[in-house]
Amino acid sequence: MIWEKLLNIDRRIVFLAMGLGIILPLLFPTNLPVGAQRVTQRFFNTVDEVDPQEQCLFISGDYTPQNMPETHPMAIVLLRHGFSARIPIIVNALYVEGAPLLANGVEQVMEEFNASSTTRADSIIYGRDIVYLGWTPPPIVPILGMGEDIHAIYPDDYYGNRIDSLEMMEWIRTYDDIGIIAALTGGSSPLWYVMFAQPKYGVKVGAGCTAVCAPDFYPYCGTGQMSGMMAGMKGAAEYEEMVAQKYGTTGRRKATEGMVAQSAAHLCIMGFVLLGNFAYFMMRRQKERQV
Amino acid sequence: MRDKLPLVLLIILGVFGLTDRFLPHPVAEAFNSYLRDTLLRIISAFALILGLGNLILRHVNKIKHKEEHWPHSYVLLISLIVASVIGVFGGISGELWFPTSVGDFEFDITTIYFNVLTPLGASMFSLLAFFMASAAYRSFRARNWLAFLLLSSAFVVMLGQVPLGHAISPAIPEISQWIMEVPNTAAKRGIELGITLGVLATLLKILAGIERSWLGSGR
Repeated sequence: MIWEKLLNIDRRIVFLAMGLGIILPLLFPTNLPVGAQRVTQRFFNTVDEVDPQEQCLFISGDYTPQNMPETHPMAIVLLRHGFSARIPIIVNALYVEGAPLLANGVEQVMEEFNASSTTRADSIIYGRDIVYLGWTPPPIVPILGMGEDIHAIYPDDYYGNRIDSLEMMEWIRTYDDIGIIAALTGGSSPLWYVMFAQPKYGVKVGAGCTAVCAPDFYPYCGTGQMSGMMAGMKGAAEYEEMVAQKYGTTGRRKATEGMVAQSAAHLCIMGFVLLGNFAYFMMRRQKERQV
Repeated sequence: MRDKLPLVLLIILGVFGLTDRFLPHPVAEAFNSYLRDTLLRIISAFALILGLGNLILRHVNKIKHKEEHWPHSYVLLISLIVASVIGVFGGISGELWFPTSVGDFEFDITTIYFNVLTPLGASMFSLLAFFMASAAYRSFRARNWLAFLLLSSAFVVMLGQVPLGHAISPAIPEISQWIMEVPNTAAKRGIELGITLGVLATLLKILAGIERSWLGSGR
């Protein structure tokens, strides 16, 4: 009888346990060491090796509000990395839903860096250190077109400035001027860059993706077609740790903050699965004895 | 004519699309750039109109025939109209002529995006965690050895994907990475090779005019 009850726990109890498991660690934050996966370390190294005099970092923010908790911290930490290493950054969005989120992220990190800057040289200036190209449909047009001329694909930036009038864009014209494309997604946009842009123009691609998408990208990391990956919120937390360790950035680290809640949620799911299996085997044993 | 014209267009444009990869000639490249940067954008704009028209018609019909959950269609249509009017006539941040604030209360399209769409989208996605927990509890049973293997690797990967796994033992994230990089990659490669070969075969059939189902039913 008890095993049957354990096999059929009301789903509201499961939901409640999950809810508490997620909310409590967020209310009472604690820190756990996140470690570093090989794919994340490779991504960090590739971005870090971009020569700021020759090339820029390209962030393709192809995410939407639905997967923002996992992917937005990736955009923030990449912006911090680029600004700290003084690597020029270009940002675009392949999905219209994500375009305002990226604009918010760019403004937030710019403010964060400019709050502690004292001279024009160590400030982050729009047009000199970063350009936000915005969104242009359909995705295949910018992916292939940027190999020929970025200025032709994006004549104006997200804020309506002429691209030609921006200091940084004087020397950035094609994929040759891009050190790595960091494609952040809840879908498959890193694959589009690998399939269409990389074979033709030889540009490096790194992926930042939700944890459920990560298995799709491991084969490409193995072959070297992808120069690393941030896999889910854990990947973002690892990258945050690497940037903070190397450059001493102090901004809020949302992926790291979410790690304990995610640990608790995983533990909760595993607990319920174990409970279900235990009850199932006990019931099976009981039935066998009765027979 | 209705059948042949789209077929001829598809074959010509499809072959030109392929030449870009295999024939690095300036004329072929220029033509392809024109197809991609101009024609494709025009077609995308038409696709948007078609999609919007289809959505509106579908929900108007649903209301007309009082199909299941028909009141939800009202929500969709009203939201669509309200958001479109505010966005088109009020501008991105309320800079156009349509009023987008009453006193301190602002309802321009950017405010709607950040205060309605973003939390709604994030809430929908986060509900998945709850349903996954419930589904895993009910159906994830180690009924045989294969299921037991699946369950064990799922546990290792789940622990490896959170710092808790590292705190228990540094070996857990290592094993988790091995699972992702070796067995997962092997399976994925097999699946993707199969899919790609299938896509290639279908593409060749379409280009040769053998596969015509895209022209409409019954062809």
